[in-house]
Amino acid sequence: MSTPTPEVYERGKGMDAHNQVMREIRSRKEASYDPHQPTRVWLDEDNTPDGVRESLTIILNTGGCRWARAGGCTMCGYVAESVDGGSVPHEALMDQIDVCLAHEAENASSPAPLIKIYTSGSFLDEREVGAESRRAIADTFADRERIVLESLPDFVDREKLAEFTRHGLQTDVAIGLETATDRVRRDCVNKYFDFADFEAACAEAVAASEAGDADAGVKAYLLMKPPFLTEAEALEDMVSSIERCAGVEGCHTVSMNPCNVQRYTMVEELFFRGGYRPPWLWSVAAALERTADTDTIVVSDPVGHGSDRGAHNCKECDDLVQKAIKDFNLRQDPTVFEQVSCECETTWETVLELETGYTGPLTR
Amino acid sequence: MTDYFEVHARDGAARLGELRLESPRTTPALVDDLLVDAGSLWASEREVPAGDPAALTVLPHRGFPGGTAPEVREAFAVATPDVDYPSAAVLSSEDPRDEGTDAYLLADAGSAVGHGRAFVEAVLATREAIPADTALCLSGVATPRNVALLAYAGVDAVDASRATIKGTQGKYLTTEGEYFLEDLEELPCACPACQVPREEFTRESCAEHNRNALAAELAVVRQRIRDGRLRDYLEGQARHDQWLTAAMRELDSQWSYLEERTPILRDAPLTAATEDTLRRVEIQRYADRVTTRYRNRFDAPLVLVPCSAKKPYSDSQSHRQFHDAIRWRAHVVSITSPIGVVPQELETTYPAQHYDTVVTGRWSADEVDFVARVLRRYLERTADTYSRVIAHVPDEGYREIVERVEDEVDGLEFTYTVAEGAHPTDDASLAALAEELAGEPAYPKREREHNTVRAIADYLLGDGAGDALFADVDLRTTSRYPRLQVRDADDTQLATMVPQYGTLSLTLEGARLWAESDAPTRRVEIDGFVPRGSVLAPGVVDADEDIRVGDEVLVEGPKAFGVARAEMFGREMVESTRGIACEIRHVEER
Repeated sequence: MSTPTPEVYERGKGMDAHNQVMREIRSRKEASYDPHQPTRVWLDEDNTPDGVRESLTIILNTGGCRWARAGGCTMCGYVAESVDGGSVPHEALMDQIDVCLAHEAENASSPAPLIKIYTSGSFLDEREVGAESRRAIADTFADRERIVLESLPDFVDREKLAEFTRHGLQTDVAIGLETATDRVRRDCVNKYFDFADFEAACAEAVAASEAGDADAGVKAYLLMKPPFLTEAEALEDMVSSIERCAGVEGCHTVSMNPCNVQRYTMVEELFFRGGYRPPWLWSVAAALERTADTDTIVVSDPVGHGSDRGAHNCKECDDLVQKAIKDFNLRQDPTVFEQVSCECETTWETVLELETGYTGPLTR
Repeated sequence: MTDYFEVHARDGAARLGELRLESPRTTPALVDDLLVDAGSLWASEREVPAGDPAALTVLPHRGFPGGTAPEVREAFAVATPDVDYPSAAVLSSEDPRDEGTDAYLLADAGSAVGHGRAFVEAVLATREAIPADTALCLSGVATPRNVALLAYAGVDAVDASRATIKGTQGKYLTTEGEYFLEDLEELPCACPACQVPREEFTRESCAEHNRNALAAELAVVRQRIRDGRLRDYLEGQARHDQWLTAAMRELDSQWSYLEERTPILRDAPLTAATEDTLRRVEIQRYADRVTTRYRNRFDAPLVLVPCSAKKPYSDSQSHRQFHDAIRWRAHVVSITSPIGVVPQELETTYPAQHYDTVVTGRWSADEVDFVARVLRRYLERTADTYSRVIAHVPDEGYREIVERVEDEVDGLEFTYTVAEGAHPTDDASLAALAEELAGEPAYPKREREHNTVRAIADYLLGDGAGDALFADVDLRTTSRYPRLQVRDADDTQLATMVPQYGTLSLTLEGARLWAESDAPTRRVEIDGFVPRGSVLAPGVVDADEDIRVGDEVLVEGPKAFGVARAEMFGREMVESTRGIACEIRHVEER
């Protein structure tokens, strides 16, 4: 593992502590990855402002998140999926794109209209993906309908987005906002930008839309139940975060990600000692239901639902509730949740009522 | 500084306390309705609340759940505001601190409960860090089955959140188990929630029952603490969940924590019904004192006899028969499980007079080992005071023990006066015993009584105390055993033997003698006042650390000298800002 370079935003006691601990936890993982292979690639379908579309999702291996090398976010284990230390050269990145195109050609009947590129970092950070690679990738997918690019808000500017929109490609920046509450983002997630930075990135997207041949927008990724919050605090924080995101021009979609317990993370350390429980699927459903009337698409794809490490209810009803959530993703119709019920809903309600910062998780 | 909590009574680490709110509550108790949460600082900034004299306000906190790294705990530590209303601070058992509040909650309790060692470590670390007169409250963990153990370890308050949650999950809780509601053909309880037909009993009723069961168990716990018998209860009840028994045993190996908190006497029976009784502080402490403090002052053969169910032994029929054969011509020491050995002078002490064991005649290997070890250590210390040993013991366990020890101890000749298969009270056995002692002189009553008084002083005050305390006194005893009165040549009363638990209660003159003697003393230093009735903790300036509840203590201050009975252990007297430190027996102004 590389030694962290002190960066300007690495300040403050809480961050130092989180980073120190996360570096130690991450250092236990010994693995390195082939820079010519993407971390992962898959086909799916997604709800976009233009309707539901076939999608090709690419997790590009770009040498990993720089923030994670300093320590990084308390729940994120993706960093461990990047190549050791350094950055990935242009040719290798393009090899990864080729692997993804081959995957698509083999498994899809036609090219997916929607391309989603995640990097476990910032696609728009030129230290991760150089300008040459970025433009080449824009050219590669020029004939598609829409592209989603993952980035921290700092790296979002209208010129970079124009490189995509000029092809007539609807361009969305996926920003891991996690929560609209700066305090929670900083202290529980250990992520260091402010909601104001997110708003600025959205403004850049709006500016790019106004100047370009296609729309640019922002898709906010929110984290349901960061560590150290109770179930009720997490739910309320999620609802208010969705509402605040919906109020920002340029942010047209919110993706709510229930925190799952990833390996080699602080969340996993808490989980092992009974100090963390992933959110209830009822909480996910409640957040979707309560924000259904906002003027934004809100979706959620609970990873590892029904397992101890993922969002779960009582095991009995997990698949049913997950199905309702998936249904909501595509139709945005809150009545889907009226179709599901289970005795464990009372337990969940009781947890919301009784769990405090000093009870610890009241259920497994 | 604790204004709103006070400990009224102790039973080992368990305490009977009082949350002194507008409407007071006796602890250990449920406090769900009393806790007002000012909120978590993880989620948002918080105002310091205005407080409420009717509630225990949980000050703004950042809970560190189990698994939180030390760096994170340190960096995000919260400065607890200083408030003058009833308040509680949230701690981590990994680095608990005195925050000046009345009560403390552990955010990581849920990670420790269910694991014997982890739980004991968490409670001990916290109890050692927070002042003795503050309440320890665990939220989200209590069940009817585990709450006796929680209280036994030193937890003062709990809530019903876990029991409620379990109810909503259809888990029916009792003091002995956890049942799936659908598996219960009938409801094994008579609480109001259970007074409905089985088919009308819902999960909601189940949650209500669970809370009732928890509340009822807490009432049992409180009564057991009042009676000084929580351990007796727990030795049986803890069997219903392995981790509870594990935690009880882990606590037994935390000698200094438990010993400091265990009273030296109780006016209550001690049930010896499990193998864990052997590891009780009371048993171990007795064995220690009898083999390191007690001195034999008789010049006579030693007769080892079996114990009797009736206490004190000398009141029993068997021991009367032994006495008729011995007639004060030998020093009588009883062999017993789980106590070890009881010299005749100490037969009224605690717990020799108080234990009640299960009599089957079958001894476990642990019992035999323990008693043999105590007997061997006893004889190693006293061997040169005996001319010989007469073992008047039956086969069952006793003889095995004596024979084992005979092989291990040098310089003592052993004679056995009970034939194989015979009983010690058989005529032949008694005749053999009397025959064995033929020609031995009887010691006089005076010697017997003096030796008893001195032996009790050894046992209570320390090695050599029986001689040192009365070194300059022409000792006299009056009144009838076991209510002996100790006097000097001028007939001034120095002490009275307390027959209920074999202690000496000192007069002012006796206290003065003690203060001036070379015997180990226990002193409580108080402020410039003359205490009447009791000395309250705020008046204590300093106290010896080896003071235990029930100990005779000297009370000294610029204005007063007196003798008292300790109601707290020494460190607790110094740390506490509330509560009775000791009850004055006699005091004089100076």
